[in-house]
Amino acid sequence: MAARAEAPPRYREDWRRGRVASWVTTVDHKRIGILYMVTSLVFFGAGGLLALVIRAQLATPDEHFITRNAYNELFTIHGTTMIFLFIVPFWAGLANFVVPLMIGARDMAFPRLNAASYWFFLFGGAGMFLSFFASGGAAKAGWYSYPPLSEKFYSPGTGQDIWILSLHLVAISSVLGAINFLCTIHNMRAAGMSWMRIPLFVWAVEIYSILLLLAIPVISTALTFLLLDRQVGTHFFDPSNGGSAVLYQHLFWFFGHPEVYIIILPAMGVLSEVIPVFSRKPIFGYKAIAFSTVAIGFYSMLVWAHHMFSVGLPNFLNVFFMLSSMVIAVPTGVKIFNWIATTWRGNLILDTPMLWALGFLCVFTIGGLSGIFLAAFPVDWQVTDTYYVVAHMHYVMFGGGVFGVFAALFYWWPKIFGRLLDERLGKMQFWLVFIGFNLTFFPQHMLGLMGMPRRNFTYSHHGLWETYNLMSSIGSGIMAIGFLVFAANVVKTSRSGPRAGNDPWIADTLEWYTTSPPPEHNFDRVPYVTSARPLRDLRRRLAQADAVG
Amino acid sequence: MPVSVRRRALVLLLALGAALALAGAAYAGNGGFAPATPHSPNASGINDSYKLIALFTGIIFVIVEGALIWFIFRYRNRGRPRTAEGPQIYAHTRLELMWTAAPVLILAVIAAFVFYKLPGIKNVPAAKAQGGPLVIRVEAHQFYWQFTYPDGATSIDELHVPANRVVRVDIHSEDVDHSWWVPELGGKFDAIPGVTNHTWFKANRMGTYRGQCGEFCGVFHAEMTARVVVESDAAYRSYLASVRDPLILGGQEWRGVCAKCHGLSGRGGYGPNIAVNAVLVEHAGLLRILEHGQNQLRPVSSYMPPVGRGWTDAQVKALEAYLKTRVYKGAPSGG
Repeated sequence: MAARAEAPPRYREDWRRGRVASWVTTVDHKRIGILYMVTSLVFFGAGGLLALVIRAQLATPDEHFITRNAYNELFTIHGTTMIFLFIVPFWAGLANFVVPLMIGARDMAFPRLNAASYWFFLFGGAGMFLSFFASGGAAKAGWYSYPPLSEKFYSPGTGQDIWILSLHLVAISSVLGAINFLCTIHNMRAAGMSWMRIPLFVWAVEIYSILLLLAIPVISTALTFLLLDRQVGTHFFDPSNGGSAVLYQHLFWFFGHPEVYIIILPAMGVLSEVIPVFSRKPIFGYKAIAFSTVAIGFYSMLVWAHHMFSVGLPNFLNVFFMLSSMVIAVPTGVKIFNWIATTWRGNLILDTPMLWALGFLCVFTIGGLSGIFLAAFPVDWQVTDTYYVVAHMHYVMFGGGVFGVFAALFYWWPKIFGRLLDERLGKMQFWLVFIGFNLTFFPQHMLGLMGMPRRNFTYSHHGLWETYNLMSSIGSGIMAIGFLVFAANVVKTSRSGPRAGNDPWIADTLEWYTTSPPPEHNFDRVPYVTSARPLRDLRRRLAQADAVG
Repeated sequence: MPVSVRRRALVLLLALGAALALAGAAYAGNGGFAPATPHSPNASGINDSYKLIALFTGIIFVIVEGALIWFIFRYRNRGRPRTAEGPQIYAHTRLELMWTAAPVLILAVIAAFVFYKLPGIKNVPAAKAQGGPLVIRVEAHQFYWQFTYPDGATSIDELHVPANRVVRVDIHSEDVDHSWWVPELGGKFDAIPGVTNHTWFKANRMGTYRGQCGEFCGVFHAEMTARVVVESDAAYRSYLASVRDPLILGGQEWRGVCAKCHGLSGRGGYGPNIAVNAVLVEHAGLLRILEHGQNQLRPVSSYMPPVGRGWTDAQVKALEAYLKTRVYKGAPSGG
């Protein structure tokens, strides 16, 4: 008995306590979440810089600010970065931090797997950016890298191969993360937290994870085939040897469209948390929002070929994918109407998280409506692969995704770091980004309708083309200033920001029950969950007890 | 600032913004608020569909954004404490059913209209009175368009057709994905190797229409443009006769196929100086590079597309004739 009680040697513990080593070896979901979010925000900055160079090149006609090849590398890596290295991993990081707290768990289900998925992501992302130094430069066949253009003959150089291998690492990271989220949400909820009582952000992460599990293996397959074509001499996508170039497009978009919802659903989940708390009301139609999340997830698997209307698919397929794409607008509309209804007769507190959430509603609606034009395939034949799609896609991905990211950052920042961000700087950032965003992307609708194709290194038109392009480039600069304000905000408040306390927003969900930042074990005690708003229930019980006492 | 003044200033600002936007639209003609003015029945069908969708989405836009802005103003905090709750309304089934059903109805109307217009957009008219459609074979290459007419004549980057004639376009690619697109004459159809796509147009006005590659196809994608010249029957026939002249066809090939990279004089641009390269006048060498292109990483990274893949003898001869007489400057002396 005495022998068994002897403490194990402690030398490993010691080196793990080091300032760097503690972060490298951590398996704490909160620290991994912070690592994820910080890394993805660094990639956001890098991808944003690429976009600024693109806009500088397009600011005026016949510009030769950068070379053609550099331009093609920039838009390829910009798109790849924003999708694979910024927004999807950011949600993984945020979910890592808040999901266990929201459901009253001690950690994620598999802490070591969790750490592994972060490191896969970091190395994949680093590989992607190092590929700028590859022989022949980085990949330059677009973020979708359609063969034959991405085949060895038409894209010599190793950039394309590194692009494939980096994405493989990121894909493994996403799959491992998704498995972990599902196991956590299914098995580790607090007592009393039935499916109709979990926070709506957790619903979003549930569907986000399922979609990742269904979609990522398909892109991995396509990329593996492409790599084999390039390196081993197979002909999966080479029509001159019996392969099919269209097959790649199907595989890519079978992943690519669910990916859009992988990006947008967590942002919608953030809105479903922020809007009720800052309206001082419950979410309007909890069940409608939860089920519409499921419906969007389901239909998102059935709309992929609306990216391929100009490929020349049989007519019945075009009709099917047009109708399925229109159907998916319905649950999306339900969400928007329910959020607006949540603000009705509320006590709207227009703090920065709420501004981002309302900004999301304002611009995402535009992105959703412009999507209806693209779903109608004859209209898509006119506007596909033009700046109209660039505008639509950024209204959804940026207006939805990035606005959601900053709503989340301003909302959970006090929980994560224990200090509030500065409200004045936060509002300044919001308005700079909101105005810059619309100035950048709204004129691109017009450019597309006037016939400006995507991915063109330059253009020779003057008049309105020039005006709209210049507006767009100026807008991108204004946005950049907005994000610098955020950096200033972080620096300013990191030492001197006001302490947040457990629950600065008087919110409804369990993460606000513990301290800010939470202790390593998260909760000393988790209250029994009696509804979807356990903290409000607790406050009311306390108030009643006070009144009686 | 008192609330009323602030509100009035805001209303003024919004009105000013709206007025500016309207003025901009009026000044710009269509200014990018609808697809290019159509000059073919299929493009008109697309424009009509666009306008119907714009009408419905415009109404939804005003309702949603209007409600959003109105609620933000009407129910904003106004100094109430954070603890002051709004009415605890959890759901309203009938309301939610209504705003699920309404979009379904609107989308059904849009879809029905698009399907009603679809045959006029998609199907090539039989054009029996004209003896069937004029069939043009379009071949997309990195980085030019090649047109083959029913009588076997070819032209590069420039398609001539008679006005008011139904033209069926058969779209092929010899290398990577491209997309055939002349905005005023209809939508995009991809040129994918191994796949043949079709579209059509019937241009109702003489003139030149600009087309461009709609699918990113590599380094000179932006320069992959086409001109569609719609002219009288007589002018069309005389054009067909003219491109039979090897020097005319050869000139088109030089400008469309070679000069985009190597410069109009052949003295180099993005690609190397070839005006002094003896391969230009050496049949076997020229044929090899036209058919297979070039792709090497060392000693210097150099890529040339297989620009002449699938060319006829007449095309090669035309290019050779043009190179010999107009481009080749002889081997460098003193070397």
